[in-house]
Amino acid sequence: MLESKEVTKTFGAKTAVDHISLKLEKGHVYAMLGPNGSGKTTWMKLAAGLLKPTYGMVCFNGEQVSIESRKHVAYMSTEPYFYTWMTVKDVGKYYQDFFEDFSYDRYLKLLKQMELTEKLKTKALSSGMMAKLKIAVTMARDAQAYMLDEPFNGIDLLARDEIRACILSYATEDKLLLLSSHLVEEMEAIADRAVFISEGRLVECVDLEEMRTRQGVSMADRYRQIYGHTEG
Amino acid sequence: MEFDANRPIWLQVMKALEMDVITGKRRPGEKLPGGRDLALSCGINPNTAARVYQELERANLCETRRGMGTFVTEDEAVIAAVREQFIRQTIQDFLRSMAQLGETPESAARMILKEEA
Amino acid sequence: MFKLMKYEFRKTWITKLILLGITAAAEAAFLFNLYTDKEDGLAASIGILTVLAIFGVLFIGLQSVITLHRDMNTKQGYMLFMTPNSCYKVLGAKVLENGLSILVTGGFFFALGALDITLLFAKQGQLNQIWQMIQDFIKTINEEIPLTADALAAFTFSLLADWISIVVTAYLADVISAALLNGKSFNGVISFVIFLALNWAFGWLLGIATRSIPNVVTSMLVQGGISLLIAAVMYVLTAQIMEKKLSV
Repeated sequence: MLESKEVTKTFGAKTAVDHISLKLEKGHVYAMLGPNGSGKTTWMKLAAGLLKPTYGMVCFNGEQVSIESRKHVAYMSTEPYFYTWMTVKDVGKYYQDFFEDFSYDRYLKLLKQMELTEKLKTKALSSGMMAKLKIAVTMARDAQAYMLDEPFNGIDLLARDEIRACILSYATEDKLLLLSSHLVEEMEAIADRAVFISEGRLVECVDLEEMRTRQGVSMADRYRQIYGHTEG
Repeated sequence: MEFDANRPIWLQVMKALEMDVITGKRRPGEKLPGGRDLALSCGINPNTAARVYQELERANLCETRRGMGTFVTEDEAVIAAVREQFIRQTIQDFLRSMAQLGETPESAARMILKEEA
Repeated sequence: MFKLMKYEFRKTWITKLILLGITAAAEAAFLFNLYTDKEDGLAASIGILTVLAIFGVLFIGLQSVITLHRDMNTKQGYMLFMTPNSCYKVLGAKVLENGLSILVTGGFFFALGALDITLLFAKQGQLNQIWQMIQDFIKTINEEIPLTADALAAFTFSLLADWISIVVTAYLADVISAALLNGKSFNGVISFVIFLALNWAFGWLLGIATRSIPNVVTSMLVQGGISLLIAAVMYVLTAQIMEKKLSV
C-alpha cells in the first residue's frame, strides 16, 4: 500500500533519511521506532508529501505520493499545527471542508471520548488536550492509511489506554496504520510489525509475534539491542 | 490485560481464554467476543486476536459458525482433555521445581498432604 | 477553491476589520469637522484619510506576503499543504483573495474619496486649498493625469493592478527563497535582489508598452491590464516552483 523506494532527504549537509526502501501493507499496525533525530518524522513527512525527497520516491498504491494520495492518507504531525484563531469546532469544520472522508459525527464521538468540547480554543489547550485533539480530528477521517507521528506524546498514562483503544478500533483489515513513538512499551501490544530506523537508515522491519516466538524477544528488547550501545 | 512482552501475545490471550473455559467461566456453546471486540477489550492488535481464534479452533476448543460468530465447543470431552492437559502441565512444572529443590514426587506429595491437613 | 479563499480571508480579516474601523473613525472626524467648519481639523482628517487609503492598500498586500511566508516556514503551513489541493490552487486562492481585497479596498477608498470631495464642494462651493493639495499630490505621481473622474478611476485601477503584480512578484521571490535556496546562505538577500530586478524589468516593460498610446485614460487601462497579466504569469511560475520543489 505504501512503498518507499530508496527515499533520501538531505537538509544542507545533513542526511535525515538515507536510502530507505520499505513496503508497508494494509491490514497491519506498524510501529516506527528509533531515537529522536533518527529520521522517523522526516520519513513520515516525505510519505505525507509535505517534504519532497532529494532522491527516490514514496508511492501510495503504486503512484507517487501527490494530491491524490493526500485524499486517502491521514497524517498527523507531532507538532501542533492548527491555526491559532481556531476553536475545536473550527478545526473539525476545516477538515470537513477539505477531506471527503471526514465525518463530523465521528469527530463529535471522538471528542467526547477524549473529553474535549467544541467551544474550546486551540490556543488555550494544554499539550495533553492538543495531542488528543490531533488524534480525534485525524481518526475522524475514514482514510485508507493513517500515519500518526508520536501519538502518545504529552498524553498521561491513564489516557493512553483510551487512545490505544481508539486507534485500535479503526485498525481494520483494509487499513494501514503507522505509529511512530519513542515510548516503545506503549506500542508493544497494538502493533504487529515494527520498523526500526537508525541515523536515517532502515535497520529492519519485523513481525513482532514471529520475533517473540522464534527469539523470545519483545519489541522493547529488540529496541535495546539495536540502539542500546548508541544511547548508553 | 497485562502481557509478558517477551512471549507471543496470541499465546497469552489464548491461555487466558482456555482457562476461562476449563474453569467454567465460559460455558460450552457460549458465544465468544468477535475478533475485533477481543482486540479492543484486551488492547491488542486485531491480527493477534484473529490468531487467537485460529489457534483455539485448531485445538477444537471453539468453532466458528458462518455469519454467527465464534462459540465455545459443546464437546465436553474436548474441554475435559484440555483441562487434563492443563493439570498435567501444572503438575509437571511443580515437580520440576521440586526436583530442583531435591525433592522426589513422593516427598512432594507427602508435603502437599501435610499442608492440606 | 472557494474554501481555500475563505480561509485565506479568515487569516487576514481582523486587520481588514481594524482598517475599516479606523477609516470609519477618520471619516466621522472628517464629517464632524466639515459641518462644524473647523478648518484645521478638516485638513488633518483629510490627511489621515489619504494616508489610510495609501497604507491600507499597501498593508493588505504586505500582509498577504507575510502570510504566505508563514505558511511556508512554520508548522502552521501543514494545515494548508496537507490538504488535497495542488499548489496552483493553494497559491491561486491567495492571489485571488488578495487581489480582490486590494481592488475592493482601493475601490472603497476611491468611492469614499469621491464622496468626500463632493461633500466638500457642496459645503464650500469652490475649489479651495484642499483641492489644490489633492491636485499636487496626484501630480507628484503622474503629471499627465487630468482631473476628470474617468482618468482618476483609470489611474487608481492601474496603481492597484501594479501593486497586485508587485505582491505576486514578492510571492515568487519568497517561494524561490523557501523552495530553491532553502538552507543556503544569503537566500533572503538573493531573493530580494531577484524581486527588485523583476520589478525594475516590469516597470521598463510597462514604459515601453504604453509609450505610444496618446490617450492618458487608455494608457492607464493598458498599463493596469499588463500589470494583471504580469501577475498571472508570476503566479503560474510561482505555483510551478512550489509544486515541484517546495518542502514545508
